[in-house]
Amino acid sequence: MIKKIKASLFEKIIFVFLITLASVTLGSYFVIKNKCLFIKNHNPKNINFEKPENIVILNVPCGNVIIELYPNVSPKGVERFKTLIKSGLYDDVAFHRVIKDKLVQAGDLEFGKKNSINYGKIGTGKSGLGTIKSEVDNDFNFTKGSVGLARTFKNDTEDSQFFIILQDEPLFEGEYTPVGKVLYGLEVLKKIKYQRHSEYILRPDFINSFRVLN
Amino acid sequence: MKLFKVILLTIFFITPLKANTIYNLIKIPNLELYQIDKKNQLRYLYASSSFRLGVKKNIVCMNSTKEDYNKKFKLISYNLNRYSKDFLKKINLRYIVMCENLSISGINTAGIPDNIMKTLILDIKFNEKYFKRAIHHEVFHIINDSFKEIFNEDEWVKFNNKNFKYADCSTCTKKLGLNTYTNTNGFFTEYSQSTPSEDMAETFSHIMTLSPKKIKEINDSDNILKNKVEFIKYRLLKIYKDFKFSEELKTSMNLTVK
Repeated sequence: MIKKIKASLFEKIIFVFLITLASVTLGSYFVIKNKCLFIKNHNPKNINFEKPENIVILNVPCGNVIIELYPNVSPKGVERFKTLIKSGLYDDVAFHRVIKDKLVQAGDLEFGKKNSINYGKIGTGKSGLGTIKSEVDNDFNFTKGSVGLARTFKNDTEDSQFFIILQDEPLFEGEYTPVGKVLYGLEVLKKIKYQRHSEYILRPDFINSFRVLN
Repeated sequence: MKLFKVILLTIFFITPLKANTIYNLIKIPNLELYQIDKKNQLRYLYASSSFRLGVKKNIVCMNSTKEDYNKKFKLISYNLNRYSKDFLKKINLRYIVMCENLSISGINTAGIPDNIMKTLILDIKFNEKYFKRAIHHEVFHIINDSFKEIFNEDEWVKFNNKNFKYADCSTCTKKLGLNTYTNTNGFFTEYSQSTPSEDMAETFSHIMTLSPKKIKEINDSDNILKNKVEFIKYRLLKIYKDFKFSEELKTSMNLTVK
């Protein structure tokens, strides 16, 4: 006959404590690991836009970023941006330059593609469509969420790379070609992978898709 | 050596990235934004600590005090407000950097213009007496650098007496005086006689700072300077037809440096 040994109150407390600790640890691990938790994903289908033809949807790891393009401010810049979006060339392209709470940059179609990323040359790639002229004459406030075309150190070298600013940058006015502004989903961009010690990202996040609404 | 590497790596890993928009734009470190002019969109920057530039780091400038920046900013912006947004865009000038004790290879200078970087570095402690004129002088160098073919030096040299010869460079001569001559004799200042481009810059800065009456007096008495003044005026209007020469705002504010 097996004699039953009853657990003392102290042992029960220890047991409950260990179970709770294990649950909290496991739970915290998943909460910390999931960087997209608590980030609202905006569905463009649930939103009415004044000019739907100028709306583009950038889908990134934590959800959608809804951008309105401004063809009246930078006609050539927006035309180029839309051409590349429509052709799907931005899909699987890296956010190769990210500065925490300041800026995210992507669009290197030559060296930034997911399966053929070239860390040595990323940021210098071309689209094959040639460069376009900078459009910096029209008034535009580079406030948080503004989308601009990146260029080399010289003007008139805009191609496929673009950036989105996460804070106001008044000095960008007259320097970079603005193409639009984020309407919804700026918090999604703040979750793009960054590095504390470098602007250029090793194993970066990628654009899932980039589409025109209509 | 290993210890050194470890220390270096440790510093790298504990130092967070500080993105500097100004540095990314004009490649000058240690600058802060002072103000953006609402009228002509010039961006005024100031050195928060000293900086070194150039391939051999031979350009050096020190930071100044808040009081000095405030004082000189008024004077600089007042004078630069005479240039319109469109004109500044045309000559490629957008950033004004304020600092003190500016020097190139140990030689003190009032300013360093760089039309490629759209930047003019100004030494706010440069010769108080001629500071205002120095601002316009340096602006002319930006204009000249952007339109070299228009301000043709061979044409300019012909205005002078046949036996006159400029120095090989602006620092190759001891003719550095900035006092305006009473008896001009073809040159506004001693420094005008250093090189053709400095002569042009001196002529321009006098056009911008002297009263139209005074300029007329000089034109009437000095035929060489008359030709030089006309040359600068005509060529400037070629670049920008709405350029304003007369100092219309001058008397409305008393901003002369004491």
